[in-house]
Amino acid sequence: MNVIEINNLTKTYGKARGITNISFNVEEGEIFGFIGPNGAGKSTTIRTLLSLIYPTSGSASIFGKDCIQFAPEIKREIGYLPSEVFYYDNMKVKDLLKYSASFYKKDCSKRIKELAEIMDLDLNKKIDDLSLGNKKKVGIVQGLLHEPKLIILDEPTSGLDPLMQQKFFELLEEENKKGATILFSSHILSEVQRLCNRVAIIKEGKIVTVEKISTLKENNYKKFKIETKSPLNQNYFQMSGVNNLAVDGSITSFLFRGDINAIMKKIADIEIANLWIEEPDLEEIFLHYYEKEA
Amino acid sequence: MNIFLHELKAYRKSTIIWSISLVLIIALFMSLYSSIAKDAEGFLKILENYPAAIRNAIGFIQGNFFTILGFYSFPLSFITLCAGIQAMNLGTSIVSKEVREKTADFLLTKPVTRSQILTAKLMGAFVSLVITNIIYFAAASFLAFQVKTDDFSMKIFFLLSLTVFFIQLIFLALGIIISVIVPKIKSVLTVSLSTVFAFYFLGIFSDTTGEEVKRYISPFKYFDTAYIIKHAGYEASFLLAGAVIIFLAIMASFVVYSKKDIHAV
Repeated sequence: MNVIEINNLTKTYGKARGITNISFNVEEGEIFGFIGPNGAGKSTTIRTLLSLIYPTSGSASIFGKDCIQFAPEIKREIGYLPSEVFYYDNMKVKDLLKYSASFYKKDCSKRIKELAEIMDLDLNKKIDDLSLGNKKKVGIVQGLLHEPKLIILDEPTSGLDPLMQQKFFELLEEENKKGATILFSSHILSEVQRLCNRVAIIKEGKIVTVEKISTLKENNYKKFKIETKSPLNQNYFQMSGVNNLAVDGSITSFLFRGDINAIMKKIADIEIANLWIEEPDLEEIFLHYYEKEA
Repeated sequence: MNIFLHELKAYRKSTIIWSISLVLIIALFMSLYSSIAKDAEGFLKILENYPAAIRNAIGFIQGNFFTILGFYSFPLSFITLCAGIQAMNLGTSIVSKEVREKTADFLLTKPVTRSQILTAKLMGAFVSLVITNIIYFAAASFLAFQVKTDDFSMKIFFLLSLTVFFIQLIFLALGIIISVIVPKIKSVLTVSLSTVFAFYFLGIFSDTTGEEVKRYISPFKYFDTAYIIKHAGYEASFLLAGAVIIFLAIMASFVVYSKKDIHAV
């Protein structure tokens, strides 16, 4: 079942770029990554899902219901964490969380305490006195306190130190295990790589690809670097699937995509001193998509 | 209900401060009454030398000025000015403060409709104004009883005081419509002060020409104190004009706010 379905969603702001014909689905129970550089349209998409802004054309549904028409109903089960959190400055953390909880028809006080403990958040401080990172923690607790079925995160890690990021990711994984679906928007690829099952790559307001993280990596090239005892014939590795072949003395390096057995046999036939085979990281794949389209 | 209570709490301080200010203003003027009433002759002479426009502007009504009700019309024009600013402030900040303090995202991602939000906020502002008026009226009538030299009609005193509330409602509605239409209001006070003062001076200006139609331009002129004292009631056409303005402004605010894009900060 799809928790989020986005169909040809378009939002234009006058002449400025918004998003064009965005379509993708997020399945129940998955952690879905949404990546792209700043200004690519991630926030615009998310804000449309939350009916903060209205689409120019196209539609989106959450839990099978139109996200504009049934907005209040849908939002009961959504937890949202924006990239920058702002709350009523003169409130205490505790009061803000209580206010937030008062919108959901359930008792959240226990969950608030649990979350505050995990995130190491002082509930008795005034929002105004909190640092950026601590405000972010308030945001996290605020977004999760009603145990939502869908968690929407818009570049959520800014301002969190690595330790808190770790805790936060663990928290998300735990929620995910309990059945929550997560839409995770980010421009930091390592985060997405660490958490997500599938990912949509967005560029200049358009979806470039929607893939499983594992497929993204599989379909991609591997980096080979071979050190041989004696210099190789320049054309030894000249075969299909090999790209960017470079021979520098005893070091030969190239990119390979294709049947891994073929290349391994080829390597087995020569006397080698050392061998490195590297998976490209998401960063490189990402750049690859961006350069290809450019 | 939770938004309403939250709003009311947020307005608590400003409600108290405005109530106290209005009470202080009326106390100041009322304390002058006994000495003015005593020296009526002298004052009349001085005032007669003033141009008609100024006499009208300060609410001076010949013959009435030295009764407590007639005298009350005089501070009332300042009270309505201040009260108008209070109401306009409230109205303008209703939506704009969420934008300025960047809390709109928080509120609008909660399971409530925008109409519910606006209704709750409107009710919060409304109740804040009601509280201000109750405090003001209690203080003003108490003071009037302290300084009166003759008996006066409590009904008319109430009708006069109620004009403060009506004018506040008009400015509240104007404030709301401005706050939903203007994308970002940096300073509520600048907007509200300039609007209210503009209408105040428009009111004074329209007074000098004496044309009835021009009174519709400024809400401050909808309630003619001399008329109220004479007839113990309001002029229906102006009451209606006020009601229409309030109704239209609030309806339009709901429509605009429901369709508005809330942009990222």
